[in-house]
Amino acid sequence: MASFEPILTRHIHREDSHTLSGYKNVGGYKALEKMFKTMAPDEVIEEVNASNLRGRGGAGFPTGVKWGFIPKDSHKPTYLICNADESEPGTFKDRLLLNKTPHMMLEGMIISSYAIDCHLAFIYIRGEFYQEHKILEKAVEEAYATNLLGNDILGSGFDLEVVIHRGAGAYICGEEMGLIESLEGKRGWPRIKPPFPAIEGYLRCPTIVSNVETLACLPHILNRGADWFKSIGSEKGSGPKLYCISGRVNNPGVYEEPLGILLTDLIFKRGGGLIDGRELKAVFPGGSSSAILRADEIDGLRMDFDSLSAAKTMLGSAGIIVMDETVDMVSVCLNIARFYAHESCGQCTPCREGTTWLVKILNRIYQGNGSLNDIDMIFEITDNIGGLIDFSKGSFGKTICPFGEAVAWPIRSFVEKFKDEFIAYVAKGVEVS
Amino acid sequence: MPLIKIDDKEIEVEKGITVLQAAIDERIEIPYYCYHPALSIVGSCRMCLVEIEGMPKLQVSCNTTIGELPPERKKDGKYDMIVRTQTEIVKRERENVLEFLLLNHPLDCPVCDQAGECYLQDYSYKYGRAHSRFLEEKRVRKNEYLGSNVIINHNRCIMCTRCVRFTREISGTNELFVQARGDVSKISIFEDKSLDNMLAGNVIDICPVGALLSTDYIHKNRFWNLEAKKSICTDCSVGCNILVYSQNNRIYRLNARENHNVNGYFICDIGRYGFHRYEDAEKVTSPLIRSDGGFKPISWEGALKEIYEQFSMSMSGEKQQIVGIASPFHTNESLFMFGRLMNNIFKDKSIIGKLPFIEDYEIHFDSGFRISKDRSPNRKGLLDFCPNLEDEILQKVKAGEVRLCYALDDGVDRKLDEEWESFFKSQRFLVVQTYAMTPLAKLAHLILLGPSPMEREGTMTNDQGRIQWLNPSVSLTNKTRPDWEIIMEFMNTVGKRELKYTSVNEVNLEMGERFPDYRGRTFFKIGYQGLPKKNITTSRPSEGRQAIQ
Amino acid sequence: MAQNRTFKFTNPQRVEKILSQYPDKRSATLPLLHLAQEQEGYLTSAAIEAVAELVEIHPGEMMDTVSFYTMFYTKPMGKNHVQVCQTLSCSLNGADSLVDHISEKYKIAHGDVSQDGKISLVKVECLGSCDTAPVIRINDSNYESMTVEKFDKIVESI
Repeated sequence: MASFEPILTRHIHREDSHTLSGYKNVGGYKALEKMFKTMAPDEVIEEVNASNLRGRGGAGFPTGVKWGFIPKDSHKPTYLICNADESEPGTFKDRLLLNKTPHMMLEGMIISSYAIDCHLAFIYIRGEFYQEHKILEKAVEEAYATNLLGNDILGSGFDLEVVIHRGAGAYICGEEMGLIESLEGKRGWPRIKPPFPAIEGYLRCPTIVSNVETLACLPHILNRGADWFKSIGSEKGSGPKLYCISGRVNNPGVYEEPLGILLTDLIFKRGGGLIDGRELKAVFPGGSSSAILRADEIDGLRMDFDSLSAAKTMLGSAGIIVMDETVDMVSVCLNIARFYAHESCGQCTPCREGTTWLVKILNRIYQGNGSLNDIDMIFEITDNIGGLIDFSKGSFGKTICPFGEAVAWPIRSFVEKFKDEFIAYVAKGVEVS
Repeated sequence: MPLIKIDDKEIEVEKGITVLQAAIDERIEIPYYCYHPALSIVGSCRMCLVEIEGMPKLQVSCNTTIGELPPERKKDGKYDMIVRTQTEIVKRERENVLEFLLLNHPLDCPVCDQAGECYLQDYSYKYGRAHSRFLEEKRVRKNEYLGSNVIINHNRCIMCTRCVRFTREISGTNELFVQARGDVSKISIFEDKSLDNMLAGNVIDICPVGALLSTDYIHKNRFWNLEAKKSICTDCSVGCNILVYSQNNRIYRLNARENHNVNGYFICDIGRYGFHRYEDAEKVTSPLIRSDGGFKPISWEGALKEIYEQFSMSMSGEKQQIVGIASPFHTNESLFMFGRLMNNIFKDKSIIGKLPFIEDYEIHFDSGFRISKDRSPNRKGLLDFCPNLEDEILQKVKAGEVRLCYALDDGVDRKLDEEWESFFKSQRFLVVQTYAMTPLAKLAHLILLGPSPMEREGTMTNDQGRIQWLNPSVSLTNKTRPDWEIIMEFMNTVGKRELKYTSVNEVNLEMGERFPDYRGRTFFKIGYQGLPKKNITTSRPSEGRQAIQ
Repeated sequence: MAQNRTFKFTNPQRVEKILSQYPDKRSATLPLLHLAQEQEGYLTSAAIEAVAELVEIHPGEMMDTVSFYTMFYTKPMGKNHVQVCQTLSCSLNGADSLVDHISEKYKIAHGDVSQDGKISLVKVECLGSCDTAPVIRINDSNYESMTVEKFDKIVESI
C-alpha cells in the first residue's frame, strides 16, 4: 500500500483533539481565516466543485453541484443542515468525528454556510448519540465564545447561528427529506420530490443537507487546494475516506484511506484479518443497504463510488461488515430484514407491507417451514419493493425515498448469492416433517 | 400550452398541471388511492405509477407536473411529454401494489359497507392478480370509534392518509393522526380528542376503501340496492350539492357531491345527517280539518271547498285582511306562485310576512368551506318573489279586522314563541301548508299536505345568488301534492283563474317570463351544477311588484 | 394508566431558549419532547399536550410525531433502561445471548419493565458502535464489547 497520510483523523489520538484549543493547535480554523480574507462565496463553490468532492453520506452526490441548485433569485433564507443522524448498520465514522474532532465539522459548516449564504444552520444529531451531543454542545459553545459563530464572524461581516437538534430514534431521518420533516417537528416521513430540498427544503426554503464527513473535508480543501484534494484517490472519486470495519475481524474500527483503496487491504491489513484465522465468507462493502459480496467477488475490488457500482453494489456509507465461514447467512438475512421492517416509515405501500412480508417468509424458512417457492418469492418481493435493479441504467426505485432499494438490494443479494444455504434450510424442514 | 400524449391520445394541457390531473380531465383512467384533488399530494400509495418517456423509472403521475420543452427537445418532434399508462411494466406495477395492499386485508367484502363502491375492489378486479401468494398470518386489529359518527376498521385501511390530511387541510381540526410507523402504523385519535367536528363525516366519503364507516349507515344496506339522486342540501343557505341514496322511498344516507362554485367536494354533518329530522317528525298524511279540538282527514276537494268558502268572501268587498306567511324553506316556484296569489288575487287586501329567519352560528373553515348562519335554503328566493314582504308583520296587521291567514310552513325546524302563537291563534281562519304536525300546524283550521324537503322539486337560490335544482329524492306519497300545485288550486278556486300547469317546469318557465333574473334558469339549462342569477333587475320592491303585475 | 394530570416544565428558561432557536415554533418539538421526557422519565399525556400547546399544534399531531420515534416513551421505563443493539455486527458478536440473559434474569421480555421497576429491556437497532460490538445502552450511556459477566457487574454498580 502506498503511504497515505490521514487527513480527517490525523490528530484524533490527541487527548484534546475535541477541544477548540486542541483543534487550533493543529491548524484548525485556518481555512476559515483564509476564506474570509481571500475568497468570495462563488470562489468557494468553484474550489469545492474543482475538488470533485462527493457526499460521504451514501449517495455520493457532488457537493458543489448540490450547492449550485439553490435558486439565485430566492428571497427566502437558505438553510444548511449537517446530517449527523448516522444510523446505517455497520457505520460509525461520523460518530468518531463528532467525538474526536467536532470543530473540523463546524469549520466545514461555516465554510459551507458562507458559500451558500446561509445564516442559520442545524446539526441534526442522532438521538442515541448522547455523549457526542454533549461534546458537540461544548464545541459550539466554544465557537460562540471566540466569535467563530454568531455575528460578524472574525470581523468578516458574516453571521451564522448553529443549532444542535437531536433526533429521537428513527433510521429514516438520515434520509434528507425525512430529516427535514423531522427537524420541522413532524414524523420523519420523507417528503415526495420534486421539489428538491435545494429549492424547497426546511420550512419550504432552499436547504442543503450535508454529511458530517463531507463537511469535515471542506477546511482541508480550502487549506490545501482542490488540486491537492483531487490528487488523493482515483479519478472516480477523490479525497480521503473514512471506512468502518466491523463484524468478524480482529481489529474493527474506523480507518482513513484514500477513496479507491482495495477492499481486501481494508479487511486483511487494516482490519487485521478474520478472527481465529477463519475464512472470509461474505462482506457488506457499504453498510447493510449495499448488496452483499461473496469472498470470491472482492479480489481487486476498489472502494470508490464507481468501482462498487460496477460490482453491482455500492460504497454507501463505507460500513464494511465482515462475515466469516461460520456465519449462517439465512439468519443474517433475517436479521437485516427485521432491521428494515422495524425502520420502514410505513408511508409507501410496497415498503410498509413488503418489508414485514419478507420477515415473515424468512422467519418461516429459518424455522424450517419454508419451501423452494418461498425463495423465488423473495426475489419477486424485493423487486416489487425496490424495483428491478439494472446497474447500467441506475436503480428503478418504486418508493418515495431510496429505503425501498436499501431493503431490496441486500436481501436479494443474500438469496442470490447464498441460495444453497436457503435451499438447505428448506430441505432441513422437509426432512423434519 | 404544452402538448402531451397519453397512450394514443394527444392532449393540450395547461402548463403546470400534473399527469394525473390531465388524465382525469381526459377520462383516461389511472388508478390512485392517496391522491385527492382537494388535498395535498403525498405520493405514497404508489398506485398511479406511469411510464414517462425519457425517465429511467416509473413516475407517480400525481406528482409529475407537465412543463414545456424547448423545440429541439420535443419528443417525437412535437410533444412535451409522452405518457404510457397501459404498458406491461405499468400493469405489473399496479398488480404488485394491489398485492401489497391486500396482504393483510380481511377480504370481507360480503359484510363491508363499501362493497360496490370500493376502489380496492374495483382496481383489484381490473388490475389485480387472481390469486393470493400470502401464506402468513394476517395482521388483525379491532375496530375503533374515531368519533361519535365514525368507526375505523383498521384491517381494511390502506394508509392513504386522506382522512388525516382532511382534518389538517380542510376541517383544520387536526384530530386524526398516524400512530407509530411501518406496518404497525394506524389512524388514531389522541385520548378523548375524538373526531367530532362539523365536517367529520366527509372522511367517510373520501376513504377510498371500507375502513372509515358511518355509525349512521353501518350494515343498513348494500350499495347496489341504493338509488342515487343528485340534489342540494336544504339545511342552510349555502346549498351544498349532495347525493341522496334511497331505496323504496327510504333515505339511507347523504354524500357530498362535487360543485366548485358551491361546496367543493364536501358537506357538513348538519346536512349529512339532517334527513333524520323528517323521519322523526310526526307526519301529516292527508289534508286535515279541525274537528272537536282535534283534526280529521278531509279530501282535497273538501279542503278546496273550505278554502273557497273562507276566502272568496274576501273578494266580495267585505273589509278583511288576508295574511300570507311565506317561507324561505320553499322553492322559487312555490314562492313565485304564492306571490302571485297574494299580490294579484288578494291585491291590497293582502299583506305578506314571514316568521323570523332561523339563524345559528356562521362557521367558516380556513379551507373556504362555509356553513351559513342562515339555516334556511332560500332566503334570496323569498325576497325575490315576495319583494313586498313586511318585516314587522306583527305590528302591521291591523287590530280588530277579520283576518284570514295562509301560511307556508317552515317545517320541522320552526318553533313558535308566545307572541307568534297568539298571532296565529287570533286568525279567524288559518290554513297551514305543511308535511308534519309542527307547532304551527297544530294551530291550523285547515292543513294542506305538501311535500317534505326530500320530496320537493324546484329551484332554490343560495346566498351567493346561485340557482340550483332541488331534486326530489323520494317520490310523493299518496295524498301529498306539490306546493306550487296547491297554491295554483288556491288561485283557481278563490281567484277564478284557470291555471293548468302540469309540472314544476311550466311554473319555472312562467316565473322566468316575469322575473328576468330567472329567465332561462330551467332545469334543462342549470342542470345539476346550477347557474347564477342573471342580475338583470335588482330586487327592489317596486320593480318586483311591477314584475308581478 | 395512572398519569399526571398536569405538566409544567421545571425549567422555563430552557424552554424559552429552545423556542428562540428556531424560525418557527413547531421545529422546537423534538427538543421540547426530549426535555419533558428528561423531567418525568417518559411522556405523560399531560406533557404531550403541554408541548403541543407550546408549539401551537393539536395534541393529535403531537402524538403523530411522538409515536414515530422509538426514543420517546409514553409509559414509564425501568430505573435502568437497558437497550440491546440487535443489528448485524452486534448480532454477529453475541447480542442474542445478552438478551436471553437479561430476559431470564429479570423475567422480562422486549418492552417490559421488571416487577420492581428497576430494569426495563428493549431491543434496539444499530447504535453506531459496531467496532465494539456487542453494545448495549443503559439510560444515556453506551457500554461496549459486552459480555454477560460485564453486564451483571455494570448493573450492580449503577
